[in-house]
Amino acid sequence: MADDRESYSPNLIRMWRAFRTCKEMCKDRGYEMLEEDYQITLAEFAAKCGREDGDVDRSRMNFSCVPSEEMLRKYTAPPTAKNPDPQPEIGKIWVEFNGDENVGLKQLRDYMQHLVQGSYYNGVMVTTKPMTGMALRLLRGASGIKEGPMGGVEVFVEQELLVNITKHELVPTHVLLSKEEKEQLLKRYRLKETQLPRIQVTDPVAKYYGLRRGQVVKIIRHSETAGRYASYRWAI
Amino acid sequence: MPPKSILKKTTVVANQPPPATDDRPVNKKHLEVALHHANIIEQRKTAEREVLDSIITLLDFPESPDADPRRPSSSDALRFSQAVAPFQPADYDSLIEERNIAAKCGYALCPRPKRKAPSAARKQFVDTSHGVQIVDKKSLEVWCSDDCARRALYVKVQLNEEPAWLRQGSHGDKIELMVENSEEHHKALPLRLKEPADSKKPADREEEDVAAAWAAHDDALADLAIERGEKPGRLSKANKDLIQDKIRERVAATPPEPPSLPKDTIFQSHMAIEGHIPRSSKSKDENDDDDDGNDAQDWDKHMG
Repeated sequence: MADDRESYSPNLIRMWRAFRTCKEMCKDRGYEMLEEDYQITLAEFAAKCGREDGDVDRSRMNFSCVPSEEMLRKYTAPPTAKNPDPQPEIGKIWVEFNGDENVGLKQLRDYMQHLVQGSYYNGVMVTTKPMTGMALRLLRGASGIKEGPMGGVEVFVEQELLVNITKHELVPTHVLLSKEEKEQLLKRYRLKETQLPRIQVTDPVAKYYGLRRGQVVKIIRHSETAGRYASYRWAI
Repeated sequence: MPPKSILKKTTVVANQPPPATDDRPVNKKHLEVALHHANIIEQRKTAEREVLDSIITLLDFPESPDADPRRPSSSDALRFSQAVAPFQPADYDSLIEERNIAAKCGYALCPRPKRKAPSAARKQFVDTSHGVQIVDKKSLEVWCSDDCARRALYVKVQLNEEPAWLRQGSHGDKIELMVENSEEHHKALPLRLKEPADSKKPADREEEDVAAAWAAHDDALADLAIERGEKPGRLSKANKDLIQDKIRERVAATPPEPPSLPKDTIFQSHMAIEGHIPRSSKSKDENDDDDDGNDAQDWDKHMG
């Protein structure tokens, strides 16, 4: 493997790692994904997205995913009298790798337009450098804005995706709870959701799973005495 | 008297949820404090959104590709200075940054693309008055010319350091632009077009500007009318006759005379209290009282 790597440019290897993490992220969130898709080898990746000069063609790395049945169920609120047939709050996702030196308002708005035109529910944008401050400000208020997609846009820098942080031994398992499971939890412990410990939506793991405000995540840790220890956190 | 237990009363059933706390009367003071802070945050959000919207509009500025940054049209200049007024210098910097990412000159009134550095190297040599300097490539590619840089920074130094949501009253003072046709911007509106609803398109750019300026003027007048409490379509309270365009000189024909009292009031002037002569001291033949009596009868007649 080691001598195999030397035949590729470091840039290509970087992009391969970011690409794999992206695929794994989509799989962990619950989108439909084939095994060979997220375990793509470097050689396959180079054949798929590499250019003749050894660099990466980022436009060929873009992909979209469809949520699996289980994920759709998880994101659907339990039916109520008012809303007997609730729609799942998730849909197709579009992942784009942007190769521009700087990403500003213009690129972000083009991207949002693309998401709306392709009727994607939300999007993930992977940039080479951090976005400008104004673009981030637009993003912060974007989830409710008419011009953006329904589920908003998430932005990652390539640097953050080189390593899949959830595979680190110190990162416990996070499991997202559905609305129904959350109700059961609050009922079981006779809590209000404000009485739960919190997790910020800007937390790296929360960003990885794409947590939204108000969702509850179950964190399963190893315990020497009890074997397993579960705690719950409320995303804010 | 039995000894009082120091233990907690455990009559509350364990399975019963704690009593609902919602029916407690709201502490008015707490509510007011919470509302006050919520309003401040809301104000801040609107101010920030305003700045963001202004930046988005200024990204595609000016609309016409042949606009001249040295002589901007008055409507462009007005819109630019109004949009920039709530900015902080940092916001203005991000406007420049965003325009540069869109490959435009950093000055929002300039339609030209930004300058290209002579080579692709990250650091560049620049000849200045005090020798050769090494500068970042990025800082070379901000403006299309030094002239635009000067004009843009002329605006930046006028911006208020205080964020817009903390400013008292309106957005401070007006932003002044560095333009060569300043007389056009300060002058009154240009002459109104003869026929705004002309079938053919306005021949050139200036006519469009004039029309736009007058449209803005009309809008402002309409806003003012609403502020005065008028309803659209009604007669305006603002009387145009009050202001006349002809100035009439008052020419004195006769030599000035010292003021004098009318003849019949002279003998009563000692009775006057601040110019008014009380009725009791008036001569009896004045028939004010009779008038009042007649009026009453008239009123009776109408009723009958």
